[in-house]
Amino acid sequence: MIDLIEVFDRAETGPLTSETDYYMKRYVPKLAELIARYKIKWDKETIINSDDDLTDRVFQAAVDLLAEAGAYCPETNRVMEFTRDEILTACSECPTKARFGEGRERKSMKGRRPDTTDDRPWVHVGGGIYTTDEQIFVDTVEKMASFSIVDSVSVPSILHLRGKDARVRSPQEVLVACQTVRLAREGIRRSGRAGLPIINGISAASQPASMFAASYPDFGLRPSDGFLIDFLSEMVVGYEALQKVAFYNSISANIGSTSTPLFGGYAGGAEGVAVTATCYMIMGNLIMRGTYHYNAPLHSKLHLSSTKPLIWAIAMSNAAIGRNMGYPMVNLPYLGGGSGTKQYHYEMACYMLAVVTSGGNIFSGHPAMAVQADSLVPDDHKFHAEMGLAAGKLTRAEAEPLAQKLFPLFGDKLKDPDKGLTFQQVYDPRTKRIVNTEYQKNMDEVRDELAGMGLEVPVT
Amino acid sequence: MADGDIFEQLKQSIIDQDEDEVLAAVDKALGDGVDAKAIIDKGLLPGLNVIGEQFESEDIFLPELMQAALAFQAAMVVLEPKIKESGGADAKKGKIVLGTVKGDLHSIGKNILKLLYETSGFEVWDLGIDVDLFQFVDKAKEVDADIIAISALLTTTLIGQRDVIEALKDQGNRERFKVIVGGGATTKEWADTIGADGWAASAYEAVTLSAKLVS
Repeated sequence: MIDLIEVFDRAETGPLTSETDYYMKRYVPKLAELIARYKIKWDKETIINSDDDLTDRVFQAAVDLLAEAGAYCPETNRVMEFTRDEILTACSECPTKARFGEGRERKSMKGRRPDTTDDRPWVHVGGGIYTTDEQIFVDTVEKMASFSIVDSVSVPSILHLRGKDARVRSPQEVLVACQTVRLAREGIRRSGRAGLPIINGISAASQPASMFAASYPDFGLRPSDGFLIDFLSEMVVGYEALQKVAFYNSISANIGSTSTPLFGGYAGGAEGVAVTATCYMIMGNLIMRGTYHYNAPLHSKLHLSSTKPLIWAIAMSNAAIGRNMGYPMVNLPYLGGGSGTKQYHYEMACYMLAVVTSGGNIFSGHPAMAVQADSLVPDDHKFHAEMGLAAGKLTRAEAEPLAQKLFPLFGDKLKDPDKGLTFQQVYDPRTKRIVNTEYQKNMDEVRDELAGMGLEVPVT
Repeated sequence: MADGDIFEQLKQSIIDQDEDEVLAAVDKALGDGVDAKAIIDKGLLPGLNVIGEQFESEDIFLPELMQAALAFQAAMVVLEPKIKESGGADAKKGKIVLGTVKGDLHSIGKNILKLLYETSGFEVWDLGIDVDLFQFVDKAKEVDADIIAISALLTTTLIGQRDVIEALKDQGNRERFKVIVGGGATTKEWADTIGADGWAASAYEAVTLSAKLVS
């Protein structure tokens, strides 16, 4: 694989072009050409593709997209170009497992192939949803970490300092990022699993300075946790991302390359999102030197990821990488339904069936499009991880009819999703036990409905 | 060719998102003596309305929207001088100052909105991303804008929207401009809290809302 300094140099030496010309003369026409060249077509019905030839064509298109369109660095206005050989070499040398955690909790997240039914996928729960209160933050993290099936957690964000908003890039943001990490580690320690990894480092940090500050070992994060570095707009690799790549590679930390291709944006529809999402994972390994990937395609208008074409595209990108690279990946579901609602559970079940059978690991989802404060309710995430474990025993072909049964239960609600509950509305503040009977009833009924459809989701 | 056929050809050329076809249709219409403003109002804008509807219903996506907008802009380069020559009135629906707040580097949603504004007949000043709050205020005053449209994707950048409204109030200019907010992290409640004139869940809604606000 070409070395990291050479990668950085490509942002300094590639062809000069404006951002508009990059999109309109390179990325957009090349993507359309590749979709036609490789005959990539979504049939508007399938949720979980099991055509391996189509899957491999998506991967080839993704390789060609990077080779022929390149990535764009806005600070230098240059296209970062890579040859096909450089890309394929990087793919062949891609890490196929990421080592996370310490002590008893030290384990490997593996890259999975589609239709693998005899392994146990990595179980990651949580989300970067913001909390309004530090006590709820610690309780939320402790509760998630205490579930024995959990291998890693994403922790919420604190956005306030002494009751005031912490503005992006402000000194308060640095303090909030440090505090987020400190409290998260404290919550994990309280669960009795101090070595459990946090792999969404650091959701409260928007700028490199905040991320680097909160990475100071005294605050509790370690290289064996995971640090997210994201692409901005489609195919954009900015200096801030490359600064993070430079730093986290210098401390040998796990990097989670992160991408959010937009359905309806420059990537277009299902086919374009599938190819672009796959391309991001190739770039995540080559450019960001990730050890795992956060795959988070999103609908540009609805701000969620559970529409039929999006689930198809997300599952497709998992299968394309699973079959051709083995890069460990989780998928970040943004769901319409609020916490504790049946809609949220149906969306999650459909999503899990698609991504886990296609080669993804398990990651519970963000409810309510991640905009409702305090909406991270740990028992939802346990239930959804259990769904993922159940899905892991199926092939894509077995999962498809179940996904088709589930989709009508929530598809029409995506434009006006059901509102959900908050942590405070579900738990007793002292014992942290569920006291909201409606919440428990919803979950039990959905579990029964899933069993009735043929998806047994055992309580762990 | 009857005027109806000419306008239909202009409309279809925009729907086809083909710049050469649009310019040829405009050239032919001018050659046939059709008024430049009528070319826009009865030919190109109806085509753009169809494009907007196709975008909203997900029959087309951002790249096609951009192609149509670029074709429209190429036609306007030809048509605007002719409107001015004939002393015609400004064909624009209203003036919009648009940008993503300070600290937020996300551009796609804002870019979609810019295109939809332009293809709906608004005049747009796109300040880009990571925009200083006084840039919004100063540009709005400079161009005598009707609306300031402010985007924020991140929860941590939302307060940048509030700051623009506060700055307008401090300067005594709050009533002079309508302010609308949108973006992934925003909600109707947030818009109400900061005293915005409106909130839109999508770019298409923002254009509809803006049309109401300037009417």
